[in-house]
Parts: sequence; structure tokens; C-alpha cells
Amino acid sequence: MHKLSWHRSILFRTASVLVVLFLFLGVFALTVTFKLNQSRAEEESIARLDQLLDTVESTASVACFAKDDVLATELANGLLKNAEVLAVDIFAGGEKLTARRRTDAPLPMTSDAPDEPPLIRDVFSPFSPNLRVGQIRLTPNRALIEQSMRSELRLATIQTAIELALVALAVVAVVLLQVVRPIKQISDGLHGMDATRGDRLTAPSHHKSSEIGFLVEDVNLLADDLVRALDKERNLRIQREMDERRYHAIFQNVETGIFIIDREGVLISWNPAFERLMQLSIATQPEQPIALLDLDWKEPIALAEILLNCLNSASSVSRDLAHQRANEDDIWFSMVLTPIGNGSIQGVIHDITEHKQAEESAKRLAVTDPLTGLANRIGLERRLADLVEHYGQPHAFGFSLILVDFDDFTRINDSYGLALGDDILKEAASRLSACIKNTDLIARLGADQFAIALSNIYSGLDIECVAKRIQQRLQPPFFVTGSPVLLHASLGIAIYPQDSNEGASDLLHHAELALAHAKDKGGNLIQFFDPLLALAIEERRHLESELRRAIREHEFVLYYQPIVDLVEDTLVGAEALIRWRHPERGLVPPDDFIPLAEESGLIGEIGLWALEVASEQLAKWRAQAIQLYLSVNVSARQIPDGLPPETLFETARRHGCAPQSLALEITEGVLLSDFGSTAQWLSKIREQGFPVYLDDFGTGYSSLSYLKRFAVDRLKIDKSFVRDIATNASDRALVEAIIAMAKSLGIEVVAEGVEDAEHVRLLRGMGCRYAQGYFFSRPLPIDAFYAFRDRIPLLLRNTEEH
Amino acid sequence: MLTLASSVIANETSLVVAIHVSAGVETLTRDQVINIFLGRFRQLPNGHLAIPIDQDSDHPIRAEFYRRLVGKNPAEIHAYWARLIFSGKTTPPREAESEEQIIQWLMTEPGAIGYLPADRLREPLKAVFTLDP
Repeated sequence: MHKLSWHRSILFRTASVLVVLFLFLGVFALTVTFKLNQSRAEEESIARLDQLLDTVESTASVACFAKDDVLATELANGLLKNAEVLAVDIFAGGEKLTARRRTDAPLPMTSDAPDEPPLIRDVFSPFSPNLRVGQIRLTPNRALIEQSMRSELRLATIQTAIELALVALAVVAVVLLQVVRPIKQISDGLHGMDATRGDRLTAPSHHKSSEIGFLVEDVNLLADDLVRALDKERNLRIQREMDERRYHAIFQNVETGIFIIDREGVLISWNPAFERLMQLSIATQPEQPIALLDLDWKEPIALAEILLNCLNSASSVSRDLAHQRANEDDIWFSMVLTPIGNGSIQGVIHDITEHKQAEESAKRLAVTDPLTGLANRIGLERRLADLVEHYGQPHAFGFSLILVDFDDFTRINDSYGLALGDDILKEAASRLSACIKNTDLIARLGADQFAIALSNIYSGLDIECVAKRIQQRLQPPFFVTGSPVLLHASLGIAIYPQDSNEGASDLLHHAELALAHAKDKGGNLIQFFDPLLALAIEERRHLESELRRAIREHEFVLYYQPIVDLVEDTLVGAEALIRWRHPERGLVPPDDFIPLAEESGLIGEIGLWALEVASEQLAKWRAQAIQLYLSVNVSARQIPDGLPPETLFETARRHGCAPQSLALEITEGVLLSDFGSTAQWLSKIREQGFPVYLDDFGTGYSSLSYLKRFAVDRLKIDKSFVRDIATNASDRALVEAIIAMAKSLGIEVVAEGVEDAEHVRLLRGMGCRYAQGYFFSRPLPIDAFYAFRDRIPLLLRNTEEH
Repeated sequence: MLTLASSVIANETSLVVAIHVSAGVETLTRDQVINIFLGRFRQLPNGHLAIPIDQDSDHPIRAEFYRRLVGKNPAEIHAYWARLIFSGKTTPPREAESEEQIIQWLMTEPGAIGYLPADRLREPLKAVFTLDP
């Protein structure tokens, strides 16, 4: 509790201020009042004297006019009766009539002070008002005025003093009651208040709505805030303690090693996990400081490096470090160091040994074939790159790459299952490994393909020698569950540097080309890479891209070769044949691009295009009431997915073609390929009324039994038979047989390759109804085709039978 | 009859201030006349004593004279003299009993000066100041 010294109290201060203020005010007010009163009293005195003079004026006038000094003296005496008059002098003309002065007048305060200036009144003649006859000089009694003023002042002073004293007392009392006492009350209340227990101040009575009341409210609000802040602070502290305990638990129990080192690299703090991971014996702990670098690191220099890095860069650094163990494998730790200021570093380590091992094995796996343990394709490519680099040096010789691939290995897998296939491959790998020096590389590229790189062997003879040895080693039967399996292998060989311009991948590619060529030629062959092979493949690739462009740029066109009815001697239809109008090469025959289109799958798009154009043409004919049919060639590759029946139906419908007018020509090969789906395709087409022609009949397997199995509408006898019917008896017999057989099956026949009138005659004789060939016309563009129609009777005139 | 006639005269006739020609005064100013009759200086311009003579107090001409000279009525003139008589320093003019007596005194007494209606003036009296109606 504060000790309040009385002279600092509000009450005393208020009283002091009031006293000083009131003294000043009182003096000022009294001075002003006195001055005002004084001048007013003087004015009033003068006014009274003036009035006094007025009363004696007429007598004075007479006295002065008559220069009657006795009368003047009487008059002066009369004036002196008034206490305010000190002296009277009356003049008439130049002479003084009388001079009277009060004898009982108190002496002026200062005797030296001259009298108050006299009141002067001119006296005029009683008979002529303008004639001045004398003067009265009346000296006021100033002493009297001052005396009365003084007494008045004294009175006023006393009055003012009493008033001010009362006011001061009242103010002090009010301050005491309204301010000091409530404040004291609040102060006492505050001393006894415990805000945390919910104590609050109550406003002094009658002060609920005053500033004092508001102050109390504010103090209470402040107390509320403080209590809330204290609560919050306490909760935070509790929370922090809990967090600390939790973190401490984590620190203690975590599997990760945590430590702190000082600027000397000495460990100053660590957790149990660190102790365990580092195999620190607790016993050593208090004895002497342990430096982090002194622990059994395999590469202490690497650790020192990252410690320095960490301090220099002032940011976290991490590194994997190996820790040596007595009688154990190394343990790998991932260490993260973070500077925590003042040269100290906090570090975290955790055991990544398993991760490291996994990583190593993954690395090995990446380049290794798990089945055979040989290098895989990636491993081979890496090794080849190394070899290419090595043999790329001047004065280095060269090396060769041999690819080995079993012919028809899928058959083994299909027949015996994958597991047994794998056994064979393992056996093959070991046989191959036996053929080569252990400095040479052997890899399994995938499936049944192996690669062998022979260092320093680059002459064709040497390589062939090795290659033959390989073939020999693979020749003996492989035993699968006791039964022997014979395998043939094809070998493709490329030599560095002569067969490679662009490094390892180029070399591998060329070896693959050679291998593919060996396979194409029937397998069980050794094939060296031939630059011509590469050239042919390059051409193929070029042609393929041109074909794509041709489709894009609509470079194809349909030609129509007429088909003639030999019975009616009329044109009945045409075979639509595709031509490629190449911008540089001119018209390209189908044999030059159809095989490639079939191989690359482009035939699908081309076939659809041909169907579209043929349908358009049929629609035009229909519009012109021309009754002709068109047949379109369908490649084996188009069936069944390249030309889905639905697409065919949709196209015909869109153009409004009758199905009977659009025939599809397929080859015998189609019937051979896949029985189920092809049969389905055929039956769907025929159900919708589209005729199916069997093209090139007689060239392939020509199995008549197919004709029983697959219903077709017409046969087209291949031109190779028709060409020689006039000269070759067996051909003639064959054609005759085909026609007869077809007739018996109820199938119409078209003879292709009809080149002269003799052919027509013979065919007619055999009962062949339809013919097509150069005798009638080559395939024609659509304009020329129209012109052809009229020439048929002329053409056939010479073919009538003799 | 006479009073009535006098009052008529007094209203219409000029009044003259007359003095014996032997006094040697030719003319007086109004102020000089006032000074002499109202007791201020009883001297003629030539330094001789002047003795003013009033008409009988009841004579209308007296009132007329003061009225014309200083614009005062007889009561006022009386009050004036009452103040001065008290001190004894000066006296009002001598009062004649009649007009005849005025003329008598003017003729006989040296320095005598009086006032008359203008038509009563005779030798050797002389008008030194005239008060027209």
C-alpha cells in the first residue's frame, strides 16, 4: 500500500490551486472594481458639483455682473457648505471677487500633490447671455472621495474574500466527496481483490454511471482480459510441457539415431537409437568426449567433407555413409546434418543397409536376365557401347556380334508349357556359354534370342567358325522330361566397325536384320549382315511412307476390266482394279505396292477406299439404269477385321447399291487361313446378298473340297491356265475339269487372261460362260470403259464356232 | 384715463435715454445704458458720474424700458436688485415719483440720466440712446 504524503494528495493540490487562483482572481477583480468605482465616483462627484454650480449660477451671474464681492463671498460660503467642495474662487473680469477654502479639510495623502484641477464655470451677464462677466473655480474635495472609496474597497475586499473562501471550501468538499473518496474506495477494493478467484470491483454508490463507474467497469474488463490471458498462458504452458514430454519420448524411443555435435565435432547429446546404431558402449560415455569422426566410419574423409559443407553452406546436407563392423558386414547409414547455430550441428542417421542392398540387387537386375543369369538387353547395350568405344580407337581391331534365335521356339512353349521352355533356354544358355571365351559377352535379349559379342574376332572366316561351333553345340537334342527335343537356330552376324556407322545400336540393328533374313530364308542358317539388306529395308520403309501419303493425298484410282457374257455376247460387269497414280513414278501396278500394303496393314484403308469408289460407281450406273456389276478384290489381311461386314453393308446402303451388283473377290489363301472367323465373315456377306468370287482359282492349294465347305458364287480360273489352253492339252483338260466341276456344284465360272479369239472359242466350247482378259480389254479408266461397250459385238464376231 | 393713455403710448412710442446736454455726452451704447441703469458702472464715457433715474415703479413706461433694454420684466429686475441690495455695494436707480420729476432731475442734477417717451424730450435734454418699440 502506498503511503500518500499529504502535500501530493488531490485534495491538497486542488485547494492550493484554488487558493492561488482565487487570490489572483480576487486581487484582479478588486482592482478592476476599485478603478471603475473610483472613476465612477469622480464622475458622479463632478456631476454633483456641476449641479451645485447650476443652482448658484444666477446669483453668481449677478455678483459678477455687479462685481459684488460680498455677494460672491456669500455665494462661496454657501458652496463650501457642501463637503465635496474644497475651495471656491470667483472672478469678475480680471479681478478676484472672492477666494474661499475649506478649513476643516483633511490634508491630502501627499501634501505635495497639487489639488484636483478645479471645475471652472464661466459666468455670463444676466442681461446679455453672450457677455462673459466672470468665472467660478470650484475645487473638488478629492480627499473625501478617496476616503469613501477606501472604505468601499475594504468592504468589497472582505466580501470577496468570504465568497471565494466559501467557493474554495465547497470545491474542496466536492472533490473530497466525489473524487477522492471513490478513488480511495476503488483503491482499497483493488488491494483486496483477487481477479483469478473471480473478484471484481463494485462501483461506489451513486457512481454507477459516472466516470468513476466507467473506470470501475474498465478495470473489471481489464481484469477479465488478464484472467483470460493467464488461462491461455497456463494452457499453453501445459501444452508445451506435454509436447516436450512427447518429443522427449520420441527422442528416446525412435529408431532413428539423433545426435548433436559441437564446433569441435564432439558429441554432446544423442539418443538411445544412436547409441545402438553406433554400438557406443554406455560405459565410455562419461569418461571422455567422443568425436563423431572417431566412430568407425569406413570413409571418415567423406564424413569430414559433409560436416564442412554443412557448416559452410549453413543448410542441411545429407549423405549415405558406411559404418564398419567387426566380424560383420558394413552397415549403411543415411546421415542428414543440419546446422543449428554457433557451429553446432544436429544430425540424424538411420539404417539404410537393406535399402542399399535392394538398390544393388536392383542395379544388377536391371542389366541381368533373371532366368539365365546372363546380361539382359540393357546389359548388352551397355557392354556394346563400351566395346564400340574401345574399338573405335585408332589401331584397335574390331569385334563381332552374333544373334542366336531358335526357329519356331513358340512351338516348344505351346507344346510343353513355359516352365519347360525356360528349362531349355537355361540349358541353351549354358551350352552357348561353353562356346566362347569367358572374356566374351553373352546375353539373353528376350524370349529365345541370345547375343554373343566376340572381342577381337572380326574376320568373316573366324566368325563363321565360331558360328558353326555354336550351331553344332545347339544341335544335340534337349531333353525335356526325358523326351528329346530337337531345335534349330538361326544366326545373324554383324561386325564392328565395318557393319556399323552409328555405334552400338546400329550394330545390334544390323545383326537383327541379318537374323531376320536368315529366318526369312527358312531358318537354321548363318547369315552375315549384307548392306543390300539394309538398303532393301530402307526402300521398303520409304515405300511405306509413300503409301501413307498416297492414302492421304488420294493418289489411288480404280481401273475397270470388263467381264463379258459369252452366251449373250454382252458386257455384264467389270473387275475393279486399283492403280497408284504416283506423282513421280506415274501409274504403279498393284503388284509393286499391294504386298507391302498387306504387310504393313495399310491394305485395310486402301480396301475401304476401293469399296467406297466402287459403290459410288455402281450408284452412278444405277442412276443411269446401267445394269452392270462390279467385283472388288479383298485381301486375306482384310478378313475379318479389315473389312467388317457391317462396314460393307453400311457403305452399300449409303450409296444405294444392290448387294447383288457388288461382288467381293477373295483368294484361296483366305479359305486356308483361319477357318472359323473367315467362314463367319463369308456367310454374313452372302446372307446379305453380296456375291463372293474365288479369285486365281487353281494356283494355290486349289482344293476342291474347300468349295464344298465354303459357299462361293463364282470361280475365276487363273490366267496361267487359260493362257495355254490352246497349246497345252493338260491345261485345257484342267480348265475343262474345273468348269465341269463348278457346273456340277452350281457355281458359275469366269475365265481370266483371255487373250485371243481362240481362247474364246475354246472356252465357249467348254461351256464357260464369262470371260475377262486383254482380248476384250485391259483394265480401263472409267471414261474409256464406257467406250468399250459398243465394241463387244465386233470383237466377238470372229469367235463364233466354225 | 391717463394710465390708459400712457400704456398706449408706452407700447407705440419710442423711448429715449436723455441727459442734459451739458453733460457732454453725444450718444451711448446699449451696454453703456445697461451698465448705468443696472448698477455696474455708474460713469459716463467722459468719466463723470452717472446717476440713473427710474420712472415710478407703477409707471408702465418703466416696465417697457427694461423690457426693451434687457428683455426682463419688472419682477426679474426686482429680483436682480434684491440680491445686490443685500450686499450694499450698489443701489438701484433713484425712483422718480413722476415724469415731471424725472425731467426736473434731468434738468437740474449733474450726471442725471433717465428715460422718456421720445415725444416728451425737450431742451436742454438730449437723447443719447433710443429704444424703438
